[in-house]
Amino acid sequence: MASMMRHTEKSTWMSGYALLTPAFLVMAVMMVAPLLALLALSFWTQSGFEIDRTPTLANYWTIIEPSDEPFFWMGIPFPFKYPPPAVLMLKSIVVSLVATVLVILLAYPMAYFLAFRVKRNKTLWLVLLTIPFWTSYLLRVFSWKIVLGYNGAINSALKTLGLIDQPLEFLLYNPAAVAITLAHAWIAFTVLPIYVSLEKIDPSLLEAATDLGDTKWRRFLRVTLPLSAPGTIGAAMLVFIPTVGDYVTPMLVGGPGGTMIGNLIQELFLRQNNAPLGAAVAIIMMFIIGALVAFFFWVIGFRKLRSRVS
Amino acid sequence: MRNTFSPLTVYAALFMIFLYGPVLMIPLFSFNDSLFTTFPLKGFTFKHYGTMAANTGMLNALRNSIVVAVCSSIIATAIGLLAAIALTRNRLPGNAIILAAFSLPLIVPSIVFGVAILIIMLKFLGIALSLWTVGAAHVFICIPFSMTVLMSRLEGFDKSLEEASRDLGENAWMTFYRVTLPLALPGVISSLLLCFITSFDEFVLAFFLAGTDPTLPVYLFGQLRFPNKLPGMLALGTSILMLSTMLVLLAEFFRKRGVQANVPGDA
Amino acid sequence: MQRLKFIDRMSQGKLSRRDMLTKASAFGVGMLTLPSLPKAADVLTCLEWAGYDDPSYFKSFSDRNGTPNFSIFTGEEDALAKVLAGFSADVMHPCNYSVNRFVNAKVAAEIDVTKLSNWKDVFPALQTADGVVMDGKVVMAPTDWGNASIAYRPDLVDEDFKKNESWGIFYDDKYAGKVAMLDSELCITFGLMLDGMSYKEAAWATGDKLKAAADKWGRKCTANSRFLWTDPTEVNQALASGEIVAAYAWNDTVKNLTDQGIPVAYARPKEGFFTWYCGLTLLNSGKADKALAYDFIDAWLSPETGKTLIEGSGLGHSNTKSFELADKQAVAKMGFTDPIQHMKDGTLFIQVSDQVQTEYNKVWGDTKALMQ
Repeated sequence: MASMMRHTEKSTWMSGYALLTPAFLVMAVMMVAPLLALLALSFWTQSGFEIDRTPTLANYWTIIEPSDEPFFWMGIPFPFKYPPPAVLMLKSIVVSLVATVLVILLAYPMAYFLAFRVKRNKTLWLVLLTIPFWTSYLLRVFSWKIVLGYNGAINSALKTLGLIDQPLEFLLYNPAAVAITLAHAWIAFTVLPIYVSLEKIDPSLLEAATDLGDTKWRRFLRVTLPLSAPGTIGAAMLVFIPTVGDYVTPMLVGGPGGTMIGNLIQELFLRQNNAPLGAAVAIIMMFIIGALVAFFFWVIGFRKLRSRVS
Repeated sequence: MRNTFSPLTVYAALFMIFLYGPVLMIPLFSFNDSLFTTFPLKGFTFKHYGTMAANTGMLNALRNSIVVAVCSSIIATAIGLLAAIALTRNRLPGNAIILAAFSLPLIVPSIVFGVAILIIMLKFLGIALSLWTVGAAHVFICIPFSMTVLMSRLEGFDKSLEEASRDLGENAWMTFYRVTLPLALPGVISSLLLCFITSFDEFVLAFFLAGTDPTLPVYLFGQLRFPNKLPGMLALGTSILMLSTMLVLLAEFFRKRGVQANVPGDA
Repeated sequence: MQRLKFIDRMSQGKLSRRDMLTKASAFGVGMLTLPSLPKAADVLTCLEWAGYDDPSYFKSFSDRNGTPNFSIFTGEEDALAKVLAGFSADVMHPCNYSVNRFVNAKVAAEIDVTKLSNWKDVFPALQTADGVVMDGKVVMAPTDWGNASIAYRPDLVDEDFKKNESWGIFYDDKYAGKVAMLDSELCITFGLMLDGMSYKEAAWATGDKLKAAADKWGRKCTANSRFLWTDPTEVNQALASGEIVAAYAWNDTVKNLTDQGIPVAYARPKEGFFTWYCGLTLLNSGKADKALAYDFIDAWLSPETGKTLIEGSGLGHSNTKSFELADKQAVAKMGFTDPIQHMKDGTLFIQVSDQVQTEYNKVWGDTKALMQ
């Protein structure tokens, strides 16, 4: 009996891996190979147009080499000889966290509305959500410039209403504009996964909660929110992780102080002709994001455990 | 009727304004008789649409983008669906590691992948750059999106449905076709949409991996060098918006008719 | 209940089968329309700026040989990255400040000017300019050129500036947030020139001198700029709306704004205005017949191409005859009437060594990165 059990288990593994094969193949060619190349590159050094292939940790040391005099950025001390990677890493994480929180707060109610209030034409609604994103990213960024710009929609409206004489200049070309533009750019990516996870909540669970005398709000906190948590967290990760490394948006709406970690990596790879250092910065960035995400999941898992115990 | 006035409905309306407000600036200024996108508006004109129609390079780029986006979203969703089934249905050894590995493409900035894949393609595999290389890269970055959506759809679904199907003598393919796929369908649609947008809008990878056929974002980025091309770009953006809206409405119209014909009373 | 019905319908295969068919056919169509992999080597492949793939720029070539293939780039760095990774192209379009990177990376080939029928009409200053000739060899056939100076709104700047036009406007706190500099290390170079250095000296600055200048001038210029521009469209829009009153700009900006009836002047800064030039370089990774490449370059050098450039975009052309052929008013809109004299008045941008350029790029990158 036991051996038979093991046998079926093994065959499910086999079929499971078989199903994963196409994904593995794509990943191997498009990810593993480039990542290995990246890793190797980060241990080499650039000299002129040649790459010196003697393995060394010099690039990593450049990034973390301490200095006696800390560099102050926004009042925060950065005790590094070459502070740009550290400074930009922090800045990028903050901006992208703000954008992520903004996106989730904006998207969740909309997903809730779609899942529970929209009774018919759901597909139509879903597609309506994505239509604005078919116009090309650059044009959408441009349209944000028109909205926030000097003689843009907001300023013109305020002027017509007589609320201001001079256009407001703080609307564009700063980190806030980056966060708003990013939030807008990624919103469909959050509404859809959250909607999917809300959609599959069994209505009988909600009915049961109501029967047990829960108020609407309590029912939401006890049933809906926890059950939609996986989708919501997934959605948050889908926004947070790629926005940290984005470099096009900050370039377009961030103004002179809009440089992010992605811009640094891009510059190191192209303009500054130091791909090995760029590779090292990219790898460290991956580790930091990975650690943050792991930490995030750990906190959530921990809470869940505690609430189950109590 | 109560729903019409609930705060949530009001919020949904505001949300749609946030979503569409900025985007609607594109059609607005595509009809404005000026090269500059500032208020006040100058006057109504169709001339930018003439400019757009004459810009064959741009239309070519649009066609390239559509082809790449359609193909890569379908392939990525298919691969993502298989992987999502594998990871949610079977408790595989190393499940967590596999999951983490699949989300790696999201962590690495695309510039890094752009350069690295470029080198792998040209130097190691000897594959010439073309829309195929762009498409392959897009499949790759779409898989995490596709998997996230599909896994959260498949997780927690009753396994007994599939087992029942198997007990009834259906083979694995028929079970997939008749039970799993229908269950996953809303997720599949979301995944297709997400992947389509991702690919259609992706700039950095396409930029490095396109051969002599640019995709639309790459082409438009280059056009910014010529300030007088902007209105033509706005006209194109408007056309895409209108076309996609019309397609959606048409599809919805036919879907409704189809549904009515199939199952009366269930719309 | 609704969902159950839906699933039920699905499982009977009523919807999904049709759905599957649609998908399958879409896929099939997609496969068919994707272009085939191999490109015939008898077609010229050009690495070109987006927009410069317009057929009117190489009409005589197309008349004889048909349309070449284009691979679009938006900055020389990414074009170089592509070539170094193994992408093969026959002709590339670098500029004075970037051609040496292609030569030093050993991807560029020497140009035999005797094979170019239009070479004799090229501005003499350009024939021997830095970057056109390197180590006594012609490595770039100059095609398009333009000036780099300050475009400003005469209705929005002070009289003081108009009387005393200077690059200092980018470092003047009075204009903080009202100007836009190019995203370029020139932010530091111009600062050094304000300190009294010659352009040449400033361009070659290294070490502590460069770092000090970056702290003193680079940061100021970055902080005072509303944005550091990367595409001319941005500058045009911002100057038109009055968001900024002055910007580092090329001739095309002046032409575009003038055409739209917006008051704009092109400064002659007391520290000097600049001339940049771009051209075509032969790449040795090319697979097409070299004669085709020469024919393409020659087409670009023709006065007809020059006329199109001048009248269409307000940029200069390397062939002196272009200016005779072009509409006089269009030339005037570029900010001068006598092209030969104008070429003499301006300062040609120079090339520095790879080492100095890399250091400059690094210092400039760090300056931007550490802005508050």
